[in-house]
Amino acid sequence: MANDREVLREIWDGKLPICFQLDQEEIMEIQQPDPFYVMVPRLSYFPLVTDKMKRHFLRFISQENADNEMWLDYNGQPLKWHYPIGFLYDLYCGNDPQLPWMLTVHFTKFPEDILLHCPNKDVVEAHYMSTVKEADVLKHRGQVMSTMQKKDHNQLWLGLQNDKFDQFWAINRRLMESHGDNEGFKHIPIRIYADDGVCNQRLVNPKNTDGSRKVLQQMINEIYPERINVKLKTHGIVLPLDTPLQWLSEHMSYPDNFLHLCLC
Amino acid sequence: MSSSGSLLFSINNEGKVYALSTSGSCWREFMYLGLEFKTLSAVPHYLWAVGGDRQIYLHVHGLEIPIRVKEESYENERWLPLEGFSGRLLPTDRYHFSSQDGTVDKSIDRIRLPSMAWQWEGDWQLELTLDGQPLDHDGWSYAVDFPAQFGPVKQWKSCVRRRKWIRYRKFSAMNSWCAIAPLHKDPTQEPFIDVCIGGNQIPYAAPGTLSVWAITAHGRVMYRAGVGTTSPEGLKWINVSIPPNCDIKQISVGPTGLVWAMLWTGRAIIRKGITKDCPTGEAWLEVKSPSETKLSVMSVGYNAVWAVSSDTRVWFRKGIDGNMAGNSETAAMGSGWLEITGNMINISVGINDQVFAIGESDKCIYWRSGITPSELTGKRWRMVQANMQLSRTSSSASVISSASNAKHHSLSMLSENTPELKSNIKLHNSWEESHSAPIEHTLPIKPPKEILPKNNTIIDNIDLTGKSYETTLKNPRAWSPVRSVGSVVGMEAQPDSDSSVFDVDSGMYFDEEVSQTAWGTCDTTWSFVEAGACSIDPMQIPHWFTDSYNVHNSDLTAKWRLQILDCLKNRNTYQDVDLSNYGVAIEEKGWTRSCEARLVTTNNSIEDCILSLYWHALENTGTLSVFQPDGTIKFILNLGEVTSVISSSEPGCPRVNLSTPRQNNENIKVQFISEMEQEEWLSVLVDIISQINGLSSKPSENSVWAVTSSGDVLNWDLMPMRQNPEENELHSKEFQVFGKYALSGFTTNLYNNFPPGSIFKITGSLNDEIKRFHVNLQGPEIKKQRHKIETEVTEIALHFNVRFDESTVVCNTKMFGNWGVEERHPLPLAPGQEFSITIHCNNQGFKITVNDKIYCFYEHRLSPESITSASVQGPLKLYTMVYSTTNIIIDPDEMIWRMMGGYLRKVECCQNGITWGISHDHRVWVYTGGWGGGALKGLGGNEGINSMTDTQTYCVYENQRWNPLSGYTSTGLPTDRYMWSDITGKHKRTREHTKLINRHWHWISEWMIDYNTPGGVDSDGWQYATDFPAPYHGKKIFTDCVRRRRWYRKAQIITEGPWIRAGSTALLDISLWNNDDEVLVWAVTIGGDAIYRTCVTTASPTGNHWEHVKNPQTLIAISTSNYIVWAVGRKGELYYREGICKENPGGTNWKLIEAPKYNYPFSHKTSVGAKFVSLNANAAWVLLSNGAIAIRTDISQAQQDGKQWKYLTDCDMLFKDVSSIEQEVWAVSTDGHLHRRLGVTAENPIGTSWQRVLSSSLVHVSARGSSL
Repeated sequence: MANDREVLREIWDGKLPICFQLDQEEIMEIQQPDPFYVMVPRLSYFPLVTDKMKRHFLRFISQENADNEMWLDYNGQPLKWHYPIGFLYDLYCGNDPQLPWMLTVHFTKFPEDILLHCPNKDVVEAHYMSTVKEADVLKHRGQVMSTMQKKDHNQLWLGLQNDKFDQFWAINRRLMESHGDNEGFKHIPIRIYADDGVCNQRLVNPKNTDGSRKVLQQMINEIYPERINVKLKTHGIVLPLDTPLQWLSEHMSYPDNFLHLCLC
Repeated sequence: MSSSGSLLFSINNEGKVYALSTSGSCWREFMYLGLEFKTLSAVPHYLWAVGGDRQIYLHVHGLEIPIRVKEESYENERWLPLEGFSGRLLPTDRYHFSSQDGTVDKSIDRIRLPSMAWQWEGDWQLELTLDGQPLDHDGWSYAVDFPAQFGPVKQWKSCVRRRKWIRYRKFSAMNSWCAIAPLHKDPTQEPFIDVCIGGNQIPYAAPGTLSVWAITAHGRVMYRAGVGTTSPEGLKWINVSIPPNCDIKQISVGPTGLVWAMLWTGRAIIRKGITKDCPTGEAWLEVKSPSETKLSVMSVGYNAVWAVSSDTRVWFRKGIDGNMAGNSETAAMGSGWLEITGNMINISVGINDQVFAIGESDKCIYWRSGITPSELTGKRWRMVQANMQLSRTSSSASVISSASNAKHHSLSMLSENTPELKSNIKLHNSWEESHSAPIEHTLPIKPPKEILPKNNTIIDNIDLTGKSYETTLKNPRAWSPVRSVGSVVGMEAQPDSDSSVFDVDSGMYFDEEVSQTAWGTCDTTWSFVEAGACSIDPMQIPHWFTDSYNVHNSDLTAKWRLQILDCLKNRNTYQDVDLSNYGVAIEEKGWTRSCEARLVTTNNSIEDCILSLYWHALENTGTLSVFQPDGTIKFILNLGEVTSVISSSEPGCPRVNLSTPRQNNENIKVQFISEMEQEEWLSVLVDIISQINGLSSKPSENSVWAVTSSGDVLNWDLMPMRQNPEENELHSKEFQVFGKYALSGFTTNLYNNFPPGSIFKITGSLNDEIKRFHVNLQGPEIKKQRHKIETEVTEIALHFNVRFDESTVVCNTKMFGNWGVEERHPLPLAPGQEFSITIHCNNQGFKITVNDKIYCFYEHRLSPESITSASVQGPLKLYTMVYSTTNIIIDPDEMIWRMMGGYLRKVECCQNGITWGISHDHRVWVYTGGWGGGALKGLGGNEGINSMTDTQTYCVYENQRWNPLSGYTSTGLPTDRYMWSDITGKHKRTREHTKLINRHWHWISEWMIDYNTPGGVDSDGWQYATDFPAPYHGKKIFTDCVRRRRWYRKAQIITEGPWIRAGSTALLDISLWNNDDEVLVWAVTIGGDAIYRTCVTTASPTGNHWEHVKNPQTLIAISTSNYIVWAVGRKGELYYREGICKENPGGTNWKLIEAPKYNYPFSHKTSVGAKFVSLNANAAWVLLSNGAIAIRTDISQAQQDGKQWKYLTDCDMLFKDVSSIEQEVWAVSTDGHLHRRLGVTAENPIGTSWQRVLSSSLVHVSARGSSL
């Protein structure tokens, strides 16, 4: 059970100051647009928080591009909208923190080969829900999601979209419960990314064979037996290696119910 | 150690006894007294054991109040012509000293203590009241002849008289081992090999019944007669014969009394026919063992029997039904063995059929997880891993103590401090010198000096009747318990330094961390486990299992967790970034939520509707729209006008009730489609309404608590209102009157009366054709009974009458319904004019200003304190009406009642915020300061939210009528009540249709016949009467035409709330009063005893422990204020406690208070008893058994019983609860509405009128925290 409210709240309240700037090549006006400053929840997704920013920059671009899909890059690296914002920051700036996070806004030259299209928020919701389902399959063989009603799914999504902790956790706590005699999850939904963004997803059991709680170090030993001094970062912090995986999954998963960890 | 935890007992391989509390995580060792133990058997609070000397010992523990038994004897006398009254009676008469019915000789010199474990509490005393009426000092009551009605007054025809002697005895061997008499003078002649206790839930048996069975070394089975919660040692052993060739080695009795015994040959036999009437059963039956298996240990539970075979395999006996076991052989025997995985050497079944066992290879204790009533075999074995208290005597312990502290000093010094050890042994060796007298029960916190008795002195004043045991022993080593039945085997030797297993409840502030330092881990090998007293909540399992993922309490302090939290907190500090120009990414938006529901109208008809809730957190506004199914609007409710949201569900109808007093007096009742939906809406609405009104944290000390009929706890907090802006130190209230036409009159309450300093102002415009109008400042409406009941205002302090037709203004006062002398003034206004009238009250009179010009002054003829309302009447339009007073104005329309969470029957608070509650099963809870839980979820976070349970009993009555042909049948007369009904007979109630109110409730028993119905029952539970609403009796007589019996079924609710258990004593009533930080808590136990709690302060609201106060009569209610305590006796009499002061919080003795003589107009009875009392500084508000209220005034320290009774004459409302403190009096009327008494002052302690503040279905209120 995810019952450490203090940690949950702290993670939920994590925000990043971001400075958006329009790509110089796309500015069609004589007047330079002001950069757009905004505090963004780490747990959210870019399409959910960029409406205002988009309106801000639309005035400065050529009208023929106004209907194009907007995309973002950091240091020339296009940002995938389907990852949580906080994770993207940890991935690209984790080792060299810079605040505010300077991002460039584009309306042209959509990098089709790198990014998925995101015509509207429904696509984000669909992607989000499918990730939650995938996580539930790993944790409970999909039993929790299938017993939930449509409105529960809705509440989960609205809670995330509107930054409502209680609304979100009222539902998410059911996803974070262990079933059957507190044995913990079946598997831990976890994705580990190298700094090049390559994802490594394995089946990870929350328990060791002797029934004791598996901690982070033990998992690292299994996945990277050859590497020493592995550090994993998420939510902007380096995780202590003796943290139990079950606890980590319950408390430090992103809203999509996955642990997104960055190797560093 | 919190006493709300239950205990798991076990014996290690050295024969030492340990206990593990379900609320703790450490094994605590029993004081080692030189005696090892072989086996144990326990039910909560009672532990039986076979010692290493093969004798039987009893240990009673964890009871917060002593076991007291009242011995009573009636002294009978007959009047003889010459001698007057004397003890010489007629030969046909009863004994001189007898029982109440005269059949038993009860000479008081022959009433002895049952054993040395008992002590007299004082001497024989006379009972000086009869049914609450005081008797003269000799306590005699008189009658014509013996089997007649006794009365308090001696009459000419009184030929006999009697008086009642009472004396209490107390079980003094609490918290210590107490020897049970052996079977023979020489205890070695027939020692015991096993003992077991159970039978605490024998179907239909009287509460407190226990059964104890034992096996002697000769293989005899003994049943201990007379064991019960008030007679822990019982009376004597009874031999129960066993079949030939049966050599029994072990015996086990389950909670339902079912007995299984194990033979040396590995077979099991069971005792059939054990019922409440036949506790020893009828005969033995043999049970087949699993094929080719010899059973070695077996344990009986409620619906389960578990056994271990000699090859360490584990067996579960399926098909056992504890409730039926007494009547059905198959239910007692079960149907077959089922092998369970695991290898165990010992097994024990505890409460709720939870199973503990000892592993064969590691000798560790395992718990079978996943056992539920539907899955009695559970899921898997989980090892119990709890730290050990380092034993002074155990060799295997290794000290990991990091720091020593005072409490555990002796423990950490153990290794080098051997003299201490010796002193223990010496104590044991020499104890036959001290055991000859029972040692007074002392709580372990008291200094040791008080414990060690001086035998000589105690023997002198204690009537010890165990004379046959007084032979002194020549050789101390050849000690035998026969000489000291019930004697105490040693007490705590170092009460200061030992952390006793039975540490008095230290409440929720028990510092687990400190005590951890003297605990270590060591590999103990266990040889015996006993779970009979261990109650495990599968929802909240104890912190005993390190393999649990649920051990968040240890996670909370884990280094990695603190590190993570630290990092998380630090990442949000952006030193170099100026955040001022950063916008918010997600803007606060309003959200809506809707569902289909039904609206319950006033006449209980149901209309379909669609609910739609809109809420904007930033603007703090919300609306609830109710649409017809076709989409047209029914009404839209501004959520700011809702003052309370409560659950009003009925079985199958999940409902929520919204009060909107500003709209109308009728509540809005909404019925939802499902319970889940009802709960979600309830928590959302409670959340929103609390947010709108700025309520989120712990309510202030001065808030008022109430409990609804569905057990929800409500709170109204004055503080947010107090923060309203104030003008010139005056509190103002503007009434919504704009545009109101006052032709037929407009009356409004002046909630704080009209004391000097108050202002009343109206503005408006007069009609063109106005003749007259008036403004009254008046008292309450009085009901008058003339031709019909009508109301009239008899007291008008100021009548300001503007007469255009007479061109004058008349000021006058009405007293007792009669007008006084008029004062006339010239006309200041003209018809059609806009006007303002302001009335200032000062000490001399009213200063009246018209159109901002001082107009006139009217001297007080009546006290302005008696003004309760203002009334304007005449052809005029009102613009504004403002009422300002020096005190804060409490307007019921603005009282927001917040649901706090939890399920309780009663809540009591005092003025420093300490709040206690009592649940329906009489358990005691203390408010933790949190908010939420249960249906409310974690509204205010999870802080202070704990799991709660409560039990309620559902009753239905089966009624039958006798007819000459077929005898008693369930066909009644057409005029009869329902054949299955509630107690009144007016409502049909059947067993099948009794449904639980929501999904948090579940049945915990089947329907059972109640053999303890008041009035007595026959062997089938019937009680008889001549006709239906007539007094019922247990024995059928010739004239009886009808009979009834009561069926009951118990249900339990599992919920959460901001409450924590305090103590294990069951309470009927509780009262709190504080003097700054120090809090007096007095309570009445379920047995009718008065107790008070020590060391209750704001820092430790649960206090320390209960201190018992002797009381001659059983009590039902209690109240305390200002170091005065009043109590209500079972017969409706009132007492106060004399001599209470800071130094002696328990007081000295009880004094009877003159009974109220209340003639209630519509009642036949002339005198009714009290049933509840609420005491404030100078008056006691007493609720009488007919629902009327009597007030005892002029109570002071010097005159604690007050001077005179006063009664409320302004209304004929009846009440079910009342609560008073200072000048606040709140009451719940019988229809469940909450009322506040207006006009209560020091001069007028009974107040002037009731003001309805909440229309709801309440059962209880506590305003004892308010201070205005």
